[in-house]
Amino acid sequence: MDYVVAVLAPQLLHGLVFGAALGLLALGLTVIFGLLGVMNFAHGELYMLGAYAGIAVIGWTHSFWAALVAAPLAVGLIGAVTEVATLRPMYRREPLYGLILTFGLALVFREGVRQIWGGDMRRILPPFTGSTPILGMTYPDYRLFLLAASSALLLAIWLFFTRTRAGIVVRAAVQDAEMLDGLGVDVRRVFTLTFAGSAALAALAGLLLAPVFTVYPQMGVEMILLAFIVVILGGMGSMGGSVVAAFVIGVAQSLFSLWMNPQRVAIAIFGIMIVVLIVRPRGFFGREGVLE
Amino acid sequence: MSRVVTWRAALVFAVLAALPGVPGISQYSLLLAFDALLFGAIAMSLDLLIGYTGLVSFGHAAFYGLGAYATAIVLERGVLSLWACLGAAVLVVGAYALVVSYFATARRGIYFALLTLIFAEVVYTFFRYTQTFGGSDGIQGLPDARLWPGAAIDTPLRKYYLVLTYLALAYAVCRLVVTSHFGRVLVAIRENEDRARFLGYSVQRYKMAICMISALLTGLAGAIYPMRSAFATPDLMLWTESGEFIISVMIGGLGTLVGPVIGGAFFTILRDKVSSYVDWYFIVIGVVLIVIVLFMPRGLLGFRRLLGFKQWRATA
Repeated sequence: MDYVVAVLAPQLLHGLVFGAALGLLALGLTVIFGLLGVMNFAHGELYMLGAYAGIAVIGWTHSFWAALVAAPLAVGLIGAVTEVATLRPMYRREPLYGLILTFGLALVFREGVRQIWGGDMRRILPPFTGSTPILGMTYPDYRLFLLAASSALLLAIWLFFTRTRAGIVVRAAVQDAEMLDGLGVDVRRVFTLTFAGSAALAALAGLLLAPVFTVYPQMGVEMILLAFIVVILGGMGSMGGSVVAAFVIGVAQSLFSLWMNPQRVAIAIFGIMIVVLIVRPRGFFGREGVLE
Repeated sequence: MSRVVTWRAALVFAVLAALPGVPGISQYSLLLAFDALLFGAIAMSLDLLIGYTGLVSFGHAAFYGLGAYATAIVLERGVLSLWACLGAAVLVVGAYALVVSYFATARRGIYFALLTLIFAEVVYTFFRYTQTFGGSDGIQGLPDARLWPGAAIDTPLRKYYLVLTYLALAYAVCRLVVTSHFGRVLVAIRENEDRARFLGYSVQRYKMAICMISALLTGLAGAIYPMRSAFATPDLMLWTESGEFIISVMIGGLGTLVGPVIGGAFFTILRDKVSSYVDWYFIVIGVVLIVIVLFMPRGLLGFRRLLGFKQWRATA
């Protein structure tokens, strides 16, 4: 019982916290994948840009909360401009070109940030410290806030996609953009706004996780692979699947780290991935035969 | 059917062989040429998969890195024979590639790309954290390899000819593959996998075979790399390295063999030249990449390929 309270429970909660933030990142990735058929390699850099934009806003206003609003907006704007300038001509091309293009974008963003802010590790202080007793242990308040905020966002996104007209239009574009175009919807605007939204979500995830992790130009590279894994595990293009898979990976990673050193954890996660891809390539909730 | 090795290719290799004879060429330029040709050779072997078979491997860095580690471990043990290094690389890369290609070719499209990527990440993680192989520092300070006792490959000139010989042999192998019946079947698989299967070809076996060929060629290139750099580090296996290989193929032009060699060389030289002027060369490379994808989607050799491809289709 002591083991459960002192070791297992905090680790489980860590996993949920991380999983919720990972879900925000993976959700944007999966929607873009559904729209463009492209794994957005620059998604990790948008996540990183969120954290750096946060640093900039905090340096200016000294308020984490202002950053939480302004940083995703700024990165969303960057996303919109990027989409119009570079991705729009890619719609009718082979997905491979989109892959290379986003790879190039990632290089530009990463190096741009290094030029502006330098390559050192940085920290963002949590907006509040202290901890709360919960389930017989004490847990940092900020992480609880992180879990609550991410979960609320995930819920809001779910409501957006199921209850609002705009959300249904985006889902329709994921299903069949050409048909939607035929029905008189301005698909290009949908694509741009969706890309901006996915960029803003990635930025939000980056900023929310920044007080828990460290901020450095390479931070996106480390996360993007995990986010890819989540997207595949959940089933390509399945939004619900991505969220479930994000929690599974988050919890699995933090529980594994109780018994293994970090590289074994990474290898174990990759191992799960390989088995899933071989046995059930469409993931948890993916449609059969998509891109197979 | 054209001859396997054309006069034009022979001419290019003759020019490359004469390159060290250019008056006043520096040792540094020779080593840069080494890197450029090695990168080109890797891009060429990757083109067998991407350009001819339509399989995008995002894990070629693992074959490259494993080859480099095979050489590094052999040299570190004091065995200086070039042939021992190459043999070790073939064994190690071959065994790994057999596993990867068996599982990866069972899946199509983006799943192939992701399976190769994740397998490569496992290898990267293993070497990055295993202290026996130097962890993140890798294996450094290797001695020069020898062609035979007494003939050390120690000067930039000798190293250059080593990589040129390798490129020539690899080019011959690739040409042999793509001009053979086997190569035609690969193109058929790229164009319409189901139809190839209905025609009675065992698609997976063909895909596995070409994966193995491509992986072994890349592994051998990896085995040659430490003979110039004197180190092998886990960074050689990073997935961004695989991305750079794909970029080289794209810059040069898919399905042309020569294009990727030029693309790889162009990429290496661009990186070297830009990085000696500014420290934000990744931005330049990123922008070049974006521009090429947007405005020259068929790569540097695109125009020629467009014509050649049509011609080829007409005769097929």
